Amino acid sequence: MAGFFNKLKSAGAGSSKTDNNASSKNKRDEPAAELTPLERILQNAGPLREDGSDKYFGLENFGNTCYCNSILQALYYSEPFRENVVNYPPLDIPSEGKTNKVKVSIRPPVQVNGNATAPGRQLPKPRQGFTPGPIPMTIMQPIRPEDRPDAPEYKKKQAMIKGPVLELAQENPDAYGMEECTFTGLKDIFTALIQSNSRTGVISPQRFLDIFKRDNEMFRNSMHQDAHEFYGLVLNDVISNVEAYARRMQESGKMNGTIQSPLNQLSSSPSLMRSMMASNFRTPETSWVHDIFEGVLVSETRCLTCETASQREETFLDLSIDLEEHSSVTSCLRKFSAEEMLCERNKFHCDHCGGLQEAEKRMKIKKLPKVLALHLKRFKYTEDYSRLQKLFHRVVYPYYLRMFNTTDDAEDPDRIYELYAVIVHIGGNAYHGHYVSIIKTKDRGWVLFDDEMVEPVDKNFVANFFGDKPGMACAYVLFYQEVTFEKMREELDAEGLEEMRLATQAADLAAGVEQVNGTEKNPLTKVNSQPTVPVEDLDPSVSLAHAQTAPGGISSILKSSTPTQAPAPEPYSHPLIAAPPPAPVVMTKADEAATVPPKSKEELAKEKKEQKAQEKVQEKARKAAEKETARLAEKERLEKLAKKREAQQKEQEQLAKVMRESKQLAAEEEKRRKKEAAAAEGGTKSGPSSPGLFNRAGLGSRSLSRKSFAFLGKTGGGGSDKSEKSSDRAGSSSTEHRSNGSMTSSGVAESNASSRETTGDGGNGFGGFSPSSPLSPTSRGPNGIHPHHHPSSPMRSTTTPDGLKRDVRASRSASTSSIPGPPPTPPERFEKPPLRDRFSFSIGRKKSSRFLS
Amino acid sequence: MFVLPPPPRYPSQVGYGLVPGYAAPMIETNNILSHPSGPEYQFLVGEGLYTLKEDLHLATPPPHPSEAPVINPNPLATTPQPATAGTSLSLVNLDIRPPPPPGLFRVGSRANGVQQSIQEHPDESRSSSGVRGSSEGARAASSDAGAIFSNTPAFGEGNTLLAQTNSKDNKRKKPKNSMTKSNSSFISRVIVHESLHKRLNDRPADGLFAFANINRAFQWLDLSSPSKADYLTKILFTKAHCLCHDVNRLTKTSSHIDVIMGFSTGEIIWWEPISQRYTRLNKKGLINKTPVSMIQWIPGSENLFLAAHMDGTLVVYDKEKEDAIFSPEDEAATRASRESIGVPNGVKGCNYTSQIHVHKSVHSKNQKANPVAVWKLSNHRINAFAISPDHRHLAVVSEDGTLRIIDYLKEELIDLFYSYYGGLMCVCWSPDGKYVLTGGQDDLISIWCISESTLIARCQGHHSWVTSVAFDPWQCDGKNYRFGSVGEDCRLCLWDFSVGMLHRPKAASVRQRGSSFSSRFASLQRAETQNTTTSNRLRSDSNLSSSGDAPAEETPEPTTAKQNVEPHPVEPRARTAMLPPVLSKIVDDDPLCWLDFTKDGIVTSCKSGHLRTWNRPSGDSSTPSQSQHGDDN
Repeated sequence: MAGFFNKLKSAGAGSSKTDNNASSKNKRDEPAAELTPLERILQNAGPLREDGSDKYFGLENFGNTCYCNSILQALYYSEPFRENVVNYPPLDIPSEGKTNKVKVSIRPPVQVNGNATAPGRQLPKPRQGFTPGPIPMTIMQPIRPEDRPDAPEYKKKQAMIKGPVLELAQENPDAYGMEECTFTGLKDIFTALIQSNSRTGVISPQRFLDIFKRDNEMFRNSMHQDAHEFYGLVLNDVISNVEAYARRMQESGKMNGTIQSPLNQLSSSPSLMRSMMASNFRTPETSWVHDIFEGVLVSETRCLTCETASQREETFLDLSIDLEEHSSVTSCLRKFSAEEMLCERNKFHCDHCGGLQEAEKRMKIKKLPKVLALHLKRFKYTEDYSRLQKLFHRVVYPYYLRMFNTTDDAEDPDRIYELYAVIVHIGGNAYHGHYVSIIKTKDRGWVLFDDEMVEPVDKNFVANFFGDKPGMACAYVLFYQEVTFEKMREELDAEGLEEMRLATQAADLAAGVEQVNGTEKNPLTKVNSQPTVPVEDLDPSVSLAHAQTAPGGISSILKSSTPTQAPAPEPYSHPLIAAPPPAPVVMTKADEAATVPPKSKEELAKEKKEQKAQEKVQEKARKAAEKETARLAEKERLEKLAKKREAQQKEQEQLAKVMRESKQLAAEEEKRRKKEAAAAEGGTKSGPSSPGLFNRAGLGSRSLSRKSFAFLGKTGGGGSDKSEKSSDRAGSSSTEHRSNGSMTSSGVAESNASSRETTGDGGNGFGGFSPSSPLSPTSRGPNGIHPHHHPSSPMRSTTTPDGLKRDVRASRSASTSSIPGPPPTPPERFEKPPLRDRFSFSIGRKKSSRFLS
Repeated sequence: MFVLPPPPRYPSQVGYGLVPGYAAPMIETNNILSHPSGPEYQFLVGEGLYTLKEDLHLATPPPHPSEAPVINPNPLATTPQPATAGTSLSLVNLDIRPPPPPGLFRVGSRANGVQQSIQEHPDESRSSSGVRGSSEGARAASSDAGAIFSNTPAFGEGNTLLAQTNSKDNKRKKPKNSMTKSNSSFISRVIVHESLHKRLNDRPADGLFAFANINRAFQWLDLSSPSKADYLTKILFTKAHCLCHDVNRLTKTSSHIDVIMGFSTGEIIWWEPISQRYTRLNKKGLINKTPVSMIQWIPGSENLFLAAHMDGTLVVYDKEKEDAIFSPEDEAATRASRESIGVPNGVKGCNYTSQIHVHKSVHSKNQKANPVAVWKLSNHRINAFAISPDHRHLAVVSEDGTLRIIDYLKEELIDLFYSYYGGLMCVCWSPDGKYVLTGGQDDLISIWCISESTLIARCQGHHSWVTSVAFDPWQCDGKNYRFGSVGEDCRLCLWDFSVGMLHRPKAASVRQRGSSFSSRFASLQRAETQNTTTSNRLRSDSNLSSSGDAPAEETPEPTTAKQNVEPHPVEPRARTAMLPPVLSKIVDDDPLCWLDFTKDGIVTSCKSGHLRTWNRPSGDSSTPSQSQHGDDN
């Protein structure tokens, strides 16, 4: 049937290349036999990298979880973030690095004939597809979307069939010495991807999402969720998880001096310790999320009566910007920082004049973040319909960006950013739809991630989501990352080549010129397109052959490789060989098996044809060898797995034992802790559970330090997980106000500022989206700004000692635990949340004073 | 004459694969003239009130029936889309025009500027006097027939093979094929106005013609006629979209107009509208397969024109020559092209920042067939180029955000600048040739002084990407300049600048290449290189040290500079003057893509085909003696 359709279609169109693709797919019929575009570009990819930058996994959608998938992909491809997630907490002994292997189970592949799925799980739940309306199906009734080879449904299904489908079935917290939390969930996924020995496949984020939902109540339904909101919550979770961990380490380290955690070692001297506490755990170890995503905004308010200017700083993790029809991101950002009059109802309480005065306010960026996340506020609350409407404004975004709205004293105000990820929302409103992400990968150009499906796309594809194209797909969150000018130029040079090729193709297409060498020029093939591809791409045998003909060392090799071959490598970036090796040294097992003896040198030079043939043979042999090694590796891995399982069992027994003990303890503790300060926890815990620790130490070969200690912490806290958390929260929120003392100058300026109701965030905005969103009926009210203001705090500006500190964590915890924290402040207070409207998730902690005293 | 029936109207649902929720665009096959009025169709600038004279909506053609309707509703479909360029126009006036407004070209001031820039290249000194001579006619020449530039050498001078058999008689050579009788599959249909010749005879001699390309349609309009909505000729192409066109100012007469069109397929059509004959060039992309983003006749040449292909190549064609398969002639070029095919160069290899690669020179001895000359600038799409009023320099802007100043007579790169960020989309020269404007994806218009090779100012006022810039020669004198710009934000902005008014960067000295920028260079460069361990690629071959202690250092003068042009670093914002607009107004409902100034007003066009004419303030006409002016874009 599908074949018939295809014939029909290709006869009709006769133009598009996907048709060729499709029909070839159908001819073979056996989906496993042919390559997806992604696999095609990865064909000669060489050895796996250790940093995980060459993994292209889809994420399984188990019902309305595309918001999670799209964000996870964007986070994974942020290099600094990925590295930090994977490397935190730092392992004490590097040689043990492999012990934290994530427990991955590979789900048996889905039956091709249809509905059979892995036991216990209903795989293809009705999920959002791409058919926002009933358009295409009317024409060809009998064909289901997943039967059309060019339909995303089909591709997703194929991806699931093909696998491997990785599942993180078991809890794996003890490996990191942390209790299970959003961070460990994320870390598990990232680690599993990096450790996977396949480059493609599908991974199920279910475990992660379960944990996340546990901690974030409003996501506990199967509704369509807001990707941006999810992003903010994940980051905040990660921040709090990491800091909670660091704190616990430190506290328990303090109590139990014999156990040396790295943190503890650092802070062994009391003075050091104090300074560390003063810095609010923003040690280099824990502040990495801030370092990557956090920027600082300054809002300047100038009283028009007395001309006094006051400043107030706050941090942000992303900027939510209002949209205008036919505008650019640049312009929206400038508008974000445009001057704003505070008048009439929004007058500013000036300390200097002592009264409500008209004032001018503007926000500028003082510190630019390394990764700039821009949330385009596409969802606007309309009073008329009392629901969120989607704005289909055309907002163009450039591939590179500089910020105009920096303060004069900002560091490096001309910093250049490159666009590296676009989260696209497809759908007509905020309550339905689908999210996909388009991400610039390290050396494979732009890739489209649509749940399970991963597909390379060209650079121009990224510009399809300005908002004006049919299909209701619009960019929703843009991720820009810091880049250097040189790197930008280099990348541009690389992309230029690719673009050129595409332009030629498009021209051919339009001219109706038949492709002479169709397969090679497939629009999705990108083998030759990325010039900066490092060594993996070079077929090792090829490089060998060249090394023999060209005596001039590496540079000459680079030059001499012929155009048909894989792009020239940069030898130093070989992941396995540390030092830049002269090509002949690169002798993997596979090569040894495959390479012909150097005798053939002259022949090679003489007869090109023969060379090619030879290369083919080599290639085959090499592949075979590769397969062989792969099989061996697989075997090894299985063995390891078995061993590991054994070890795990033992561990589990231990764990169970310790758990029993600790549960009792925890029960007692819980009572106590209700009255105690959070800081007291660690010590009480660590003592009693130390037997477990010793047992473990005696048993395993692991060292006593960080890891086992962490294990201890975990088991200790295991039973009382919840209570510990909540008390932790209480602790943090109680310290909230203290922390503010230093920067108060215009506390109320902020709160006084005019509400940007035009964007209709309905008042208490948590980001631009959530608050008024009927999406999640659960109370999200406290999420916004209001909880930060003491209801009773008077409207003063400069002298507020316990000023209006905004701490997202506080707000978040307020909402998640849904009990503590002041109730959502009713909007009758004339101060509105101006800032919240425009940006979200500020982590407003100052370094100053949180843990002093 | 045989006249075809009017084309059918296509039901709009079939035409575009539209999704419910989107209003289907009206697909209209006839042009509509309307005269909206009201306060929203006026704007006030210093000199007075501009009012909308008329709105001519040019019909946007639906896709060709043979083209499969887009049934794939998947917004993520990766099928390549044909290139499109919105609506672009050229206004042409057949009148032999009197010289341009007095005071527009100050010979003295102009000579200062240009002479300096030229003297950077010592072997060019012979021409320094010539600049003065040509300056007088600089602007006029662009449209005047028969203007002779005794001093600026013609393009390709010295190559006898290119010498014209300059027929003094008015019998100009016509293209080979008949448009109306063509059965080429390239052309879908041609609709000629039934009384074309009557209309041509009746019209005033100084009336404006307009040629417009909108996607796969090309229209020829008579703007002086009361029934201007009725096109004189409309050509619909099959699949190829016409992206650009130009009219030869030298050869146009009432009996002959040379129009050249560039297509998304890379093909080029030379069309003579009065006899309705055409010739195809670069057929099937024989010479270059990539779309032609801009095309322009070389001023002063009857036959030669310059086409910018999207692969970063500039190609000079001769309208009368046959195509021949082209392979780069010089060795370096071959290497470069090979590199561009298969072995991409990461760091080394062919360097596009320091020179242009002449794949075929005008001075080549092989001039039997097209192309006449081929210059490879980079691997990036060339978005636009402009020829300087003295017919010597080219300003070329690309998608990668570079502005290149090229001496096209000598086929040399003179200067290379970078945008603040993002690609550059449009470029133009000031009427006196001193300044170049660029507009791009940073929402800015940048003013570059070519003689001092520095950035003068950035102009901030658009809310989106800038798509077209043009000077208003009627509002320019030697000191004060007026220019306009349009962008994707549907806005028309007008700007005034005078050089004295702008704060100049301190370091800008008379010496162009040396210390002037290195000091500024240092700061930004340092900031941007701080994370890289690799040495600065851009400066790898330069004499400046990359350590950042450059201020005192000076580059040895021209000898080195000539061979390897040093790209100018991006000016930090703090050191650059910011210019606000004197007017910023939304003048259309759709993103604008083109503007031009005429004596009577401003003409803008938008992506959906609205051609709007804004009358200048009626009371005060700054140059009342001038006749209507059709200038090139």
